[in-house]
Amino acid sequence: MTEQLSTPTRPLDKEELRALLAQILDVDVAEVTDTAHFVDELEVDSLMALEIAVQLEQTYQVKLGEKETVALKSLDDAYELLSAKLADRVSP
Amino acid sequence: MIIPLEGRWALILGASSGIGRAIATALAQEGANIVGLHFDTGDRAASVAELAGKLRGYGVEAHFENANAASPATRAKLIPRLLELTGGEGVHITVHSLAFGTLVPYLPREPWPASITKRQLEMTVDVMAHSLVYWVQDLHAAELLRPGAKVYALTSAGTVQALPSYGAVSAAKVALEAHVRQLACELAPYRVAVNALRAGVTVTPALQRIPESADFVARGEANNPHGRLTVPEDVAEAVTLLSRTDSSWITGNTIGVDGGELHAAAGAWSRPVPAGHEGGMP
Repeated sequence: MTEQLSTPTRPLDKEELRALLAQILDVDVAEVTDTAHFVDELEVDSLMALEIAVQLEQTYQVKLGEKETVALKSLDDAYELLSAKLADRVSP
Repeated sequence: MIIPLEGRWALILGASSGIGRAIATALAQEGANIVGLHFDTGDRAASVAELAGKLRGYGVEAHFENANAASPATRAKLIPRLLELTGGEGVHITVHSLAFGTLVPYLPREPWPASITKRQLEMTVDVMAHSLVYWVQDLHAAELLRPGAKVYALTSAGTVQALPSYGAVSAAKVALEAHVRQLACELAPYRVAVNALRAGVTVTPALQRIPESADFVARGEANNPHGRLTVPEDVAEAVTLLSRTDSSWITGNTIGVDGGELHAAAGAWSRPVPAGHEGGMP
C-alpha cells in the first residue's frame, strides 16, 4: 500500500478525465465543462487542488511539479498537461 | 502498568514530515509497526520511500498511504486495511498531526491579496480539527481502539495566541482541543486515553509556510526558558513516554511539550543558559 503505482498506465480519455474531476470535486459531470474555472466556477480550494494533483498522478502515473499544479485551472488545462506528459513518456 | 511498544501498531495521520515523521521514527525505534498517512504530490515520493525504508530498518512493518486524511473515502479504504494488518490487536497509538489549512487573514491586510473565504475557513477546521472526530468514530466502530489505546492530537499555542495569518488554524486548534476533551470522556468507559499535545514553536515545513514565521522563530529561542526551540524529537519522545502504559487515566488533557515556552513572559528569559546546562536535546 506504499506506492499506488500499481495500476497500469491508462490511456488519456477526455471524458474519463472529466468524470474523474467531477468525482474529486463532488459535482455533476455536466458542470465540469472544458473551460469551467476550477477556483472561480467550481470552488476548488487548496485541499481539492492537491487532491486533483495526487489523483492525476496516481491515475496516469505522472509526476506533477508544484508550478504545473498551480497552473491547472480547467479540464482543458489538465488534458493538455497530461497529453504532454504522456507523450514525453512514449517518445524516446 | 508500564508496557513495551514492541509489536504494537501506530497510525500516524500526517506522517511524511515534521512532527508526524519524527513520531513515526521514534515509535518504530521502540519496535512499533507504523501505518502512515500523508498527502503529497510525487515530488515527495522519494522522501516517503526513504522514511519507510528507515522504519523497516528498525525491524518493524511500515505502510504508507498517500491520500487525503479528511476524505471519507480514505477512511473507508484504510480502516479495513488496519483490521487486516493488526489482526484483532487494534491500534495502540493514533496520532493526528495534520497541518493543512488556509493561511490568510480574516480582513484585508497588506501584503495578503485576499481575505479568508467561507470555504477556506471550513476546509481548515474540517481537516485540522473535525477529521479527528471522524477517524476516532470509525476506529471505534471497527473495534480498533482497545483498552489502553492512546489517541494524540497535535495542537499549538495558537489556541491562546493570535498571529496575522493564523486565524483559521487557531480556530481549528481550539476546536481540536474541545474534540479531545469530548472524546476523552466518551471513550473513558472503553479505557482509551485521548490527549492533545501542545508543541512549542518547532521549525517544521508546516511552520515555515506561515508567512510571519521567520520573525517569531527568530525570537522563539530567546522566549523559551530552555534557551532553544522545540524540535520534533521532543514531541516524539513525549508520545513514546505517554504510550508506554496500558492506563487510560491521563486523558482529556492538553499537555505542553514546549519547554515552558507558553508560560514564560516574552523576552524575560533571554539571558544565556549557563554552560553545561543547555537543556537536553538536540
